[in-house]
Amino acid sequence: MNTLASFFTILIYPAGLTLVLLGMFYEWLDRKLVARFQNRVGPRWFQPFADAVKLLAKEQIRPGIVNPYLFFGLPVAALAGASTAALYVPLLGFAPPSSFSGDLIVTLYLLSLPTMCVGLAGWNTTSRFSVIGATRSLTQLFAYEAPFLLALLGPALVAGSWQISEVNEFAQTHWLILTQPVGFLVALIGLMGKLELPPFDAPEAETEIVAGALTEYSGRGLMMFKLGKSIELVVGLTLVSAFYLGGLTGIGSFLIKSIALLVLMAVMQTLFTRFRIDQTVGLWWRFGAIVVLMQIVAIILWKGYMP
Amino acid sequence: MTANSPQLWQQVIDKVRTWARLNSIWAVHFNSGSCNGCDIEILATLTPRYDVERLGVKLYGSPRHADVLIVTGPVTRQARERLIRTYEQMPEPKFVVSVGSCSISGGVFDGCYNVGGSVDEVIPVDVYIPGCPPRPEAIIDGIIQLLKDLQGGKPRSAVRPNVAAELPS
Repeated sequence: MNTLASFFTILIYPAGLTLVLLGMFYEWLDRKLVARFQNRVGPRWFQPFADAVKLLAKEQIRPGIVNPYLFFGLPVAALAGASTAALYVPLLGFAPPSSFSGDLIVTLYLLSLPTMCVGLAGWNTTSRFSVIGATRSLTQLFAYEAPFLLALLGPALVAGSWQISEVNEFAQTHWLILTQPVGFLVALIGLMGKLELPPFDAPEAETEIVAGALTEYSGRGLMMFKLGKSIELVVGLTLVSAFYLGGLTGIGSFLIKSIALLVLMAVMQTLFTRFRIDQTVGLWWRFGAIVVLMQIVAIILWKGYMP
Repeated sequence: MTANSPQLWQQVIDKVRTWARLNSIWAVHFNSGSCNGCDIEILATLTPRYDVERLGVKLYGSPRHADVLIVTGPVTRQARERLIRTYEQMPEPKFVVSVGSCSISGGVFDGCYNVGGSVDEVIPVDVYIPGCPPRPEAIIDGIIQLLKDLQGGKPRSAVRPNVAAELPS
């Protein structure tokens, strides 16, 4: 029975099927919203599914020079990392199936695993576009990772726990977006940087470097990287909405809050043009990191004086 | 019943695969010596007014990601090798759409000292879209033709590339 329950956890909910379908739904919603903002009709609802099946049915070409184990292993690692992160967040508003003290750090580490896999994949394929894309990917990782972590640390500090489920419970009685608006903004923009969405899509700028680190990937590998990114989107949205938007209590609140966040992200994707990589790094370290650090200091002082 | 089930599975998988191919077409654009007229029309096809993303068509930069190679212009001697290389970099199954009169017959450039000939002399072509340049509607219609061919299970076009030695010198 226990084994059956584990299989259910891994294959159906929350990892596996539910997560894949949610990821595809959110990817479609994102594309559709951006299309509507650009006065287009946009893709049909099954578009990400058709893309995934088509990529699965395609030939996967391996360049002669790459290390085959890395080339075929990295997409799997990226997808696995993103899916594992879903075990610790209140997906669909239910309590996370696995929870321990400090799982916030584990989740954030698992969420940056796909980016590191993309960087390694770009370095491994040795094509010039891949190498430049990988370098930019990793540079950007160093730029947004610290502010994003600090922005999620604010609610954790206030709640007095580094456990995602406890912060979620605390947030249900405190709308932290009202007391920590700076942290919310930094977390939202950090999520966009993490997902390499348009203002921060220098790592895969198709006008300069073809497709960045994934230039040489085709078929299954490309599909796994793309799916990993969609799943990262779902997990990231869950995390930010659970921390800042009054917690997640059920499917309804999960859908409303995460889709509200997604609409905000789609608006920003449409409004802003692509930053150069040095502008991205400058934005995070000269501005994002400093304001969020000031907020953390303020929280610590407030907690020290008013216990 | 049991004897038929592998076949049934095969049929179902084939159906799903064909459906996915029909609804998700990623294109890569190659200019093999065109005057840029057709390229501008292709870009116009991708603009919000015509919005081919509603049909699942997206333009990608890398031939490794693409299903359809859109070629414009006559094949010049310099572009010939690059065209073959780009075509060979694409993963199977792959299709070629030749856009514009020049890519079909050489057009006004036919017989020039630097022009090798039409696209189908170099790589196999699935759909021809005539016009100088073809309107975006014509390009979308060409894509629909390709989809219909795929749906009907029509065999790939059997035009084989010539060898380099056969080109006029």
